[in-house]
Amino acid sequence: MVNVGSIRINLLKWLIAPLLAINLIGAGLTYRLAWVPAQMAFDQSLADAAWALVPRLRDNDGTILVDLPQQAEQVLRLDHVDVIYFIVRNPSGQLVAGDQDFPSLPAPEKLNDPVAYDGTMRGEAIRMIVLKARVGTQVVSISVAETLRKRALIRTEIFVALIVLEGLLTALSIALVWLAVTRGLLPLKKMQADLDARSHDTLAPVSEADLPRELRPLVDAINTLLGKVQAGAAAQQAFLANVAHQLRTPLAALQMQLEWLQQRHPEGHETAHSATLMLTATARMIRHTNQLLALARAEPSRLEKDRFEEVDLVPLIEDAVQVFVEQAVRKQIDLGFELQPARLRADPFLLRDLIDNLIDNAIRYSPPGSTVTVGCCRIVDDVFFMVEDSGPGIAEAQRELIFNRFYRLDDTVAGSGLGLAIVRDIVLAHDAQMELSSGPDGRGTTFSVRFSAGG
Amino acid sequence: MHVLLAEDDSILADGIARALRSHGMVVDLVDNGNAVELAIKHAEIAVLVLDIGLPGIDGFEVVRRLRLHGMQVPVLLLTARDAIQDRVHGLELGADDYLVKPFSTLELVARLKALVRRSAPKPAEFSIGGLTLDTFARRAHIGDQAIEFSVREWAVLEYLMQQASRVVSKQQIIDAILPWGEDLTLNAVEVYVSRIRLKIAPSNIVIRTIRGFGYLLEPITP
Repeated sequence: MVNVGSIRINLLKWLIAPLLAINLIGAGLTYRLAWVPAQMAFDQSLADAAWALVPRLRDNDGTILVDLPQQAEQVLRLDHVDVIYFIVRNPSGQLVAGDQDFPSLPAPEKLNDPVAYDGTMRGEAIRMIVLKARVGTQVVSISVAETLRKRALIRTEIFVALIVLEGLLTALSIALVWLAVTRGLLPLKKMQADLDARSHDTLAPVSEADLPRELRPLVDAINTLLGKVQAGAAAQQAFLANVAHQLRTPLAALQMQLEWLQQRHPEGHETAHSATLMLTATARMIRHTNQLLALARAEPSRLEKDRFEEVDLVPLIEDAVQVFVEQAVRKQIDLGFELQPARLRADPFLLRDLIDNLIDNAIRYSPPGSTVTVGCCRIVDDVFFMVEDSGPGIAEAQRELIFNRFYRLDDTVAGSGLGLAIVRDIVLAHDAQMELSSGPDGRGTTFSVRFSAGG
Repeated sequence: MHVLLAEDDSILADGIARALRSHGMVVDLVDNGNAVELAIKHAEIAVLVLDIGLPGIDGFEVVRRLRLHGMQVPVLLLTARDAIQDRVHGLELGADDYLVKPFSTLELVARLKALVRRSAPKPAEFSIGGLTLDTFARRAHIGDQAIEFSVREWAVLEYLMQQASRVVSKQQIIDAILPWGEDLTLNAVEVYVSRIRLKIAPSNIVIRTIRGFGYLLEPITP
């Protein structure tokens, strides 16, 4: 697979590389714009110097004479930075005045039109001006040259200014591009946060509001997929519920037949013993079947809030008392109740599953002689359901794990490991809160579920 | 006690029939809804055990027709579904109780006995764990030993005996023994129960306290 990398990096690459190229071209142009006039100005002043020599020349019947006193020559050559050279040649090219080693240059074609050249003199680069001027009847060639130190200084200054300017411009461009890209990617981030915030069974479609047009097709695709997943999950749960229902009649038949068989034989008889074991296994199958059904029912994605109705926890708990008292008596557990009116909006079936599973758990995992207390009450707008036991307690590290499906604390106790997963789903479905605490010495466990009475 | 069982699953029907017979009941079997009414007309049926998912006409329809034709036989519905709508629907149509499959023999027997007790006149005498109550003469005895109870004690004990093996709340006891709305505190119920316990100690009956809830009277199983 091709590694496509990051959208941000790709965007930055595509935006910043051309921007840098454009900046470089701009810098080149700016450099030229700054340098050419400077060069022209320098050349002009050289030309001026050449022009200044013309009045000093005289045509003496075909011989060019120069009138350049020491002082005047000093003025001509005066420069704090550069060295000035000059030469005046007569029409036959012979030296009239100036520096003898001045490089010879082609004479310009036109009169009074100075031409500039680059060259070297005495081992140093120079800039030269050649001027063809008429002196009397003669045409003389006047050349003035200077070293390039001043020009180099100016060049450096332009260069540094440009570097600073272009550097700033580039930094600003990158910052702007970065900002723009980040802002451009914001809707993606928002979408990601929305998806991240979901639990595994929140399959509602992603909202298309506030999303840019470009993301809509993606969101549509995600929503289509979510819809398929939801339909699949619903079908699976319907199947599960159906299977569980279908299993109930044969399980009932099996249990009836085994109970009859067990009764027909005196205790201690091998057949009775076998029947007892089969009954235990059947009871376990029944429990698992019921829990599968409860699990399918409690799956939050399946739940419609309009199934909620006004219910009181007290009669729901009272309904469950009979079965659990029998279970508790068999196990010599002291099962007690602290019931106060606790009305709330909820799904009564799910509440019954929640009550059954929490009480069953407490009795199942508490040793003989323990105390289990079931309570409910309403405090202002909150309804509480609590099951407290004096059993071995649950270690801090395991408190999260026990809500996972098929996680079991104690393998020696018969259980499906589904009970608390069902409880968790029911708590989620009611937007309730679940708290698990132990006594100060780490013994005993209290499961407490807090519902908002309004539902 | 004559029970009519309408259940189409033959293995379950066989199991229920045998379980009920072993508890001394007479059981007639039908496997479809259409046959129920005829069977009731032919025999003196004390209670009908009716599966909802019957072929032909379903259990709901059977109950509806029975009540429509003025037949008052108590009906216990059996169902594999525990949707609350089913339960409400069944009871609204005139069924008397409801049991979700699978259930234990004891649960079924207890429910049937309760239904029959409710519909039949009270028996004059009944006996649990060696304790016999003669409700007509208001006399109680364990073996040859007669036991005296106050009026209130008698009322509480009689109710607990009627509800034997079932957990009853203190409020249920109060409601049952004081139908005229006389005032009686929950604490008073505790006092009566503790006195009853002392008096029936020689019998094979235990009255368990369900903390914060009520009591469970049951015979002590050896």
